[in-house]
Parts: sequence; C-alpha cells; structure tokens
Amino acid sequence: MIELKNIEKYYANKGVKSYILRHVTTSIKQGEFVSIMGPSGAGKSTLLNILGMLEEPTYGQYEFMGEDVVSLNERKRIELYRNHIGFVFQAYHLIDEMTVAENIEAPLLYKKVPGSERKSRVADMLDRFNMVAKSDLFPNQLSGGQQQLVGIARALVAQPSIILADEPTGNLQSAQALQIMDLFKKLNEEEGITIVQVTHSEVNAGYGSRILHLLDGVIKEDVAVQQTV
Amino acid sequence: MFKLNLKIAFRNLIKNKVYAAINIGGLALGLTGFVLLLLFINHENSYDKWNPKLENVYQVREFLNLSTPDNRPHWQELNNSRNAEMLKKSIPQFKYVTKIDNDWGDVLSIKTGLADPLALKGFVNADSLFFKVFPYHFLQGNEKNALQSPNSVVVKHSTAKLLFGTDEALGKTLKIFRWKGDSGVAYTITGVVEDPSAPESLKFNAILHDGEREKDPENLNVTTPCKIYGLVNTAIDTNALNKTINRAHFDYKNKLYGETNNKGVSKSTSAPSLKIIPLKDVHSNPPFAKSWVDKIKPVVALSIFLLLISVINFINLATAQSVQRAREVGVKKVLGTRKKQLVWQFLCEVAIQSLFALFISVALVELLLPAFSTNFDVQLSFWYNAKLVSILFQLLAVFIIVTLLAGLYPAAVLSNYNPIAVLKGNYENSFKGIALRNGLVIVQFAIAATFIISIGVMQSQTNFIVNKDLGFDRSHLINISANYDERFAERIKKIPGVQYVATTTQVMGNTFNVSEKVVYKSNTFDFNTVTVTMETLPALGVHLVSGRLFSKEYKQDTVNTVVLNESAAKLLGKNTVGQDYDVLDEKKKYTFRIVGVIKDYHNEGFDKTVLPTIYKVTHLGGMSSINNLLVRFDTDNYQHMVELIRLEWMKISPEFPMIYTSGESAFQAQILSDKRFMEMITLFSAFSILLSLLGLFALSAFVSKRRTKEIAVRKVLGASNFQIINMLNRSFLLLIVAANLISWPIAYIAMNKWLQGFAYRVDMPVAPFVLATFASLIIALFTVSIQARKAAVSNPVKALKYE
Repeated sequence: MIELKNIEKYYANKGVKSYILRHVTTSIKQGEFVSIMGPSGAGKSTLLNILGMLEEPTYGQYEFMGEDVVSLNERKRIELYRNHIGFVFQAYHLIDEMTVAENIEAPLLYKKVPGSERKSRVADMLDRFNMVAKSDLFPNQLSGGQQQLVGIARALVAQPSIILADEPTGNLQSAQALQIMDLFKKLNEEEGITIVQVTHSEVNAGYGSRILHLLDGVIKEDVAVQQTV
Repeated sequence: MFKLNLKIAFRNLIKNKVYAAINIGGLALGLTGFVLLLLFINHENSYDKWNPKLENVYQVREFLNLSTPDNRPHWQELNNSRNAEMLKKSIPQFKYVTKIDNDWGDVLSIKTGLADPLALKGFVNADSLFFKVFPYHFLQGNEKNALQSPNSVVVKHSTAKLLFGTDEALGKTLKIFRWKGDSGVAYTITGVVEDPSAPESLKFNAILHDGEREKDPENLNVTTPCKIYGLVNTAIDTNALNKTINRAHFDYKNKLYGETNNKGVSKSTSAPSLKIIPLKDVHSNPPFAKSWVDKIKPVVALSIFLLLISVINFINLATAQSVQRAREVGVKKVLGTRKKQLVWQFLCEVAIQSLFALFISVALVELLLPAFSTNFDVQLSFWYNAKLVSILFQLLAVFIIVTLLAGLYPAAVLSNYNPIAVLKGNYENSFKGIALRNGLVIVQFAIAATFIISIGVMQSQTNFIVNKDLGFDRSHLINISANYDERFAERIKKIPGVQYVATTTQVMGNTFNVSEKVVYKSNTFDFNTVTVTMETLPALGVHLVSGRLFSKEYKQDTVNTVVLNESAAKLLGKNTVGQDYDVLDEKKKYTFRIVGVIKDYHNEGFDKTVLPTIYKVTHLGGMSSINNLLVRFDTDNYQHMVELIRLEWMKISPEFPMIYTSGESAFQAQILSDKRFMEMITLFSAFSILLSLLGLFALSAFVSKRRTKEIAVRKVLGASNFQIINMLNRSFLLLIVAANLISWPIAYIAMNKWLQGFAYRVDMPVAPFVLATFASLIIALFTVSIQARKAAVSNPVKALKYE
C-alpha cells in the first residue's frame, strides 16, 4: 500500500543542511499495524507527517496505493488523504468551538457527504464509542481519554484505509491508554484498517505487528513483534 | 457546511465577548459618520431633480459688479433684467424665459383676514411665465391663468396651510406689508402648488405677480436686477450656445448703450459677460459662497479617517486573535479543507460582524439625525428618505468594501498557517505579521494625535476670536429692522435706559458694501461707503484714533465731512485729519473734509479683512438704503426696555411686526459656522481617540498573552515584575512616539491651511503639539501597563508546564 524509497528530509538554515530523515526506505502493506519508535529528535513525527502528506520529502519517492504522491498537485493530494487517511494526534486537537458530534462530522463535510448520510454515520460512531449522551458537549467538558476517543472517532468516520497516530496515548493515564490501544487492535484485526503509530512506549508497541526503530533519521531496525497477548 | 461555519462564527463571538464588542462597536462608530455623510451627499445631489422636465431649464448668469463682497465684478445670478428680452428675441432655442426677483431674505408681514399678521420670508415677485418654465404641480388653479392678472399670488401647499389653516386657498386674499408704515398691497390667490419631493435651489413660499416684472424700465440708466431662467425646447450644446449668447449680449449692449462704458459692464468681446448653466448645476455652484462640495470636504476627510481607524482596529484585533484560531485552522487543513474555503469562512465571519456594525450604526444615525440636521441646516431622514432604495444600495457597497478591507488580511494570515507547526504546539507567530501590526498602530495613533493637536489649535483661535476686540461694543446693543424715523427715534429716546438711537447702512449681520471712488492728492482710491446718523458711531462704541466724531455742534457734519477708519486712512497716508478729497459723481464734483479716524471695526466674520471705509452723515454724492435702527442701552437688563420700544412701534406700525437682533446674537451668528466646525472636529476626535485606545488595550492584551511563555522564562531567570512591565511597555511606547512624530508635520500643515482662511488669526501655538504627545504617551502607558501587569504577575509555572 505504501512504498517509501530513499526518503530524505532536511532543513536548510543559512546554507547548512540539517537532515531529519535520510535514506528511509520501507514498505507497509495493507492491514499491518506498525509502530515507529525512537528517541526524541529522531524524526518519527516527520516520517509520520510525510506519510500523511502533511509534509513533502526533499528527496525520494513515496507511492501511496500505487500513485506517486510527490508529483501530485495540492488538490489531488487533498483528495487522497481526505478519502484514505485518518489522523490521530497526541494533543487530540479537537475544535473547541464545535460539539462532539460536530467534531466527528467535520471530515464528512469536506468529503461532501450528503446530510442524512452524515448524520447516520456520526450516530453510528457515537454509538460505537458509547458517547451518544455526550454528543452535544464541548471538548472542554470532556476528560482527556474521552477527547482522544472523539479524535479517533473523527479519524474513523471517513472510513479511511489507514490511520496515522502520533503518540495517541501520550497525554493519557495508563488505564485510558490501554483502552485506546485495545481499540486500535480491534480496528486493525476486525476491520483490517492499517495503523501506523508513533510511540515511546514499549507496551504500546507490543500491540502492533511490526516496529520500525528510527535513530538520527535512519531506520536502524525493522522487527516483527512477538505477539505476547 | 455553511451552517456549521455560521455556528462556529457565533460561538467565537460569544466566547470573546469583549473583543467582539470592541470590533463591532468600533466599526459601528466609523460607519455612523459615513452613513450620515452619505445621507447628506444624497440630499445635496438631489437638488432640482423633482421633475425630469427640469433637465431643460437653465439659469442665466451675468458678469457684473453688483453688491459683491470685494467690489469687483463676478459671475452672478443677478442680471440686468433686459437680458431676458434679449434672450427671447435673439436665442430661438429658448421656448420661455422668465424673470424673478432675488430673494434678499426680507421678512414681510402677511395679513389674511382679521387675524394677526404673520412674519414670513420667501414671497418673491416674478413675471407671468414663471410656471411655464418651472413645472410645479398645481393642486388648485392651473399654470395657464395663475400669474396672468395683476396682484395675483401662487402659494405653496405648506404656505397655504400656514396662512389659512387649510389648503383650500384659491380665491382668498392676503395683504402684504413690506415695511413699517406701509399701507400694504392686496393679492389674490390664483393657485396652490405642491411642495416638491426634492429640494429646490430656487426656494420660495409664494410667487407674487404685481406686474412690475413684465416690462423693463424705460430709462436706460435704471436697471432692476433679477434672476433669469429659461426653458429650452430641445437638447442643446451648452458651450456652443453660450458663445452665441455672449455674442448676442455684446451686440445688444452696444446697440442699447452705445459704445460708452456702462458702469461695471465689461467692454471687450473676448471677456464673456453672459452665460447659461443647467439648473442641476446651480446648487453646486453658488456665485459667492463656497459650494457644498467644498464645505463638505473636511467632513468627508474626517469620516474617512474615523472609518480607517476602526478598520485598522479590526484588522489588528483579528490578526492578534488569530493565534487562538490557529489550531482550528491546522485541524481543518488536516481534515482536508482548501485554502480558499478557509479564506471564505473567515471573510464570512468578518461579514457577520460588519453586518452587526451596520445595523448598530443605522440605529445611531437615527439618533444623531436631529442634531446633525440642525447643525447643517438640512432636513434629513433615513427611513422616510425619498431615495431610500438607492441609499440602501450604497450602504451595501460600503458593507462589502469594509468587509473586504477589514477581513482580507486577517483571513489571509489565518488560512496560511502551516498545520504542522500549529499542531505541534510550539507555534510561534512569525515576525512578518508584527511589522504590519505595528505599522497599523502607528497610523491609528498618528490620526488620533493629529486630531488632538487640531482641537488645541482651533480652541486657541476660537478663544482669540471670542476675546478679540471687535472695534465696537456689541453688548447691550440691538438692531431693529427699520429705517430712521425722526419722530420714532425721539419717542424711544425718552425711554429710560436708552442711550443712543442711530442708523447705519452697515452693521454686523447686515452688510451692504457700496463702493465709491475718491480722488485724494491726485490719486484715485476705491473706498466703501457707510451712511450714518450723528449718534451712530458713539452708539457702536467705536474707538477714536485721531480727530473727532460727528457732532451736532458742527453744522458742516451734515453737509460734507467724513470720518475714515484706519484701513482707509493708512491708504491715504499720514495726517489725514483736516485734509480734503473729491468725489466725482456724473458731472458734478463734491469735496469732503476728513474730520476723524476710528479704529477698524469688524462688521463681517474674521475670515474677511475690514474694508477701508468712509463714514458720512450726508446724502450728498450718493446714499444706500438704510434698514438698521441701532439702539444702545446703558444696562445689560434691557429686555423690558425692548418691550417699551415695541409698544411705541405698535402705535406707528400696527401691521408690521418689530424685528430685531442683538449685537451679541449677530456676532454669534457670524462665528457660528466656525463654532460648529470645531464641535464636529471635537466629536470626531473624541471617537477616534477612544477607538485607538480600545484598540491598544485589546492589542496589548493579546501581545502579553502571547508572550506568556517568554515572560515566564524571564521571571525564572530573575526578572522582577517591574522589569517585565517595562519590557512590554517599551515596545508599544516606541510606536506611540513614532506616531506623534508623524502627526506633527501633518497637523501643522492642515492647521496652517485652516488658519489661513482667517484674516485675523493667532500664530500657530506650540502648546497643543507638546500636549498631544504628552497626553497620548501617558494614556498609552496607562493602557498597556494594565495588561502588562496582569501578564507579569502570573505564575510562571503555569506557562512552562506544557511539554
């Protein structure tokens, strides 16, 4: 599904190039659950952003579902990630002025899904996450774990083929974190959604099927996970 | 999608109530001035547009020297009445040509039946063709016979109601008394016309027809000046026709008057002497006063400045607030929105705010309209305006322009946020935005500082005027509209408290310059003449510089002595007292002796220099009409003495009411327009300063909030609260100082120009400049410090906690 060949990303500051990512070559197949790990500054988030087409690599090839992403114009790119990619952030990044239901509905508005279908899909999502009673509350009325659930619901409502999660449990207590990771696993196993997560936690990484270790912008290791559950 | 964005917009407004209020309120204030101006301009533009037939009506103007302010020939609305005959005969394009007297503003006494007489203006005499040229709609009677018979009158509907209480006025009679002692003339009402829906440049309450205007005087040396209007039967090329008219006029004058020089009329063919202008251009081209376009220019400038300040405020606050919305923008971009959609969304939010502002400003306009109307002597209304639809369209245009002006930049800034930078949380506002924001603050404060300086200078000039020695004593002095009647004067002199009773042709509020050529030591001078009685100069309380005033002891005073004012004496040279000069009148020569010189006294506003003037008691060598009876009292409480005078008046003039003004009120009327101008500037200044301060308040709040992390770090490193406050203040104060530096030259140039309009003025005072800078610095300091202090005393831990 995803092919990365020799991806490089650097920032030039007064002629001096500082490389964030170098020689990153890997491929991710449909249905995998990949964790990207590494110390701070290793370039994990950048790699995730490149995968999510939020940033462009300064060099290299990136093929998404067979299409060369780098040469696409902005409009096509937006089409792609609108329809196939869902993002989950560490800081949830819900829109404070919108209710839970409206937050979940937002991606569907940009996909131009008709009104009645939007309503039904949002209702479905609320039901699934047991949040029906909270649908008219604002994000600042929810706890951290609940907000992250809303974030995931928002990422899912567009029925993406891949979810990119940037330290999804970083701001949560351990109990809530486990809840979220269980959810991810279920999504991956039961619905076949590809998940790529960036994480610091070994525990979280254990939920996945594969770990990419990044160090100083280079993939040092690519290991399969021993399923211990 | 639209509904959702609308919801977000409203929730944002509610969340930041204070800033929303400042934004909307500021825009509303800026728009109010604009809307009032719009109403005024629409009104002025609508003159003479109440009937499409008026497109074919033209006003005739002649280049004459007749009661001009500077005794030189000008293009005037007054014509030699014979021009009408000439036009009728020589210009076939004119279907009808009508003559109408000039309305000098005389108050007439109108009596209907047995009721008390009413004092009214606007009863003007015209010839029988008036209504053929001006298509007034007749409610009663018709234009064919309206002005045919002698002593007929056509009244306006409103006047009929005023006189008779009903509009059924056809056939009724009224008697007109033009002055005290007039036996009155009876007129029959032959028509009632509808008051037109748009204002007219030729205003009247009634058109009289006494037959005088039908023919011109037989004696060629006698002219009866009047206004002339013509109706053309086809569309014409005004320039080409004017050339023809000028040629015809020149030939006509030559034929009539021969080759000799007719007083005040241009001799050569190359100098144009007669022209026509379309009626719709009449109102915007008054012959002597400033046209309304010129008068309104300062107001337009003020309104635009005020609107500019409020728009700047809006932009600044919106961009500052954008930090709060950054996250929303980042998320939306991740979710797949395009930049254009974001720009559109934010523009709509701005549009909502400016729509609110527009509504509020319309409400404010309704409130302010009565005061505005009295100030500018117009009758304006918003909802009952005849051109409401056109005005609403203009408002829509203003709304769109303001929305784009105020919204495009913030929308562009907001939609350009890089989602990554935003969502990572370490979003730092780039330095590009700051430069523009600072620039805007400087512009805002420069405008406000200019206003403050202007007020200071204007106040200085006003104080100067109010306290200036007018050269005469305007206290306990009244001017009765009447000519000198020896009997009446004797009777009222007997009233205790009456010091002097006199008359003059020239007094403040009622000027009539009559020029006279004087030959002094073989040089010719052009002086202004004022005819007085013995007691006039003492009644006015003038200051004698040398020689003496008129007095009964000197028999010569009634024959051939004169008093000069200083301006005249300076022109003649030194030691004029005791010298003689000659006046040539037709074939005779009159010699006059100068017996005294008085200090100049101001009879007109301070924007005009006092003319060099001769005062004489005699009528020899020419006289001008007299309609000022001066009475000086010896005490301030002269009201009951006025009543006693009125009783005496009723005895000799039961039909004509006594009309008088006090010296003080005449003076106030002169300086009225300047006073109003100052009031207006003060109002605008207050608003603009208020807005600028509000803007600064909000802006400093945001800046302080944004620098919370920096402040926290500094505090941890050991900075004291005071140092933090200073740091935040410094950045703003630099802006204020820059703004003031910019405002000094601008204010200087503007105020210099304004002061030049006064013949008598103060030197440019320095105090307002210094005060303005000082005041703006202190106020800005205070405003910013409030916010800075709030930020400085906050707990640094809270800011440094996250990540």
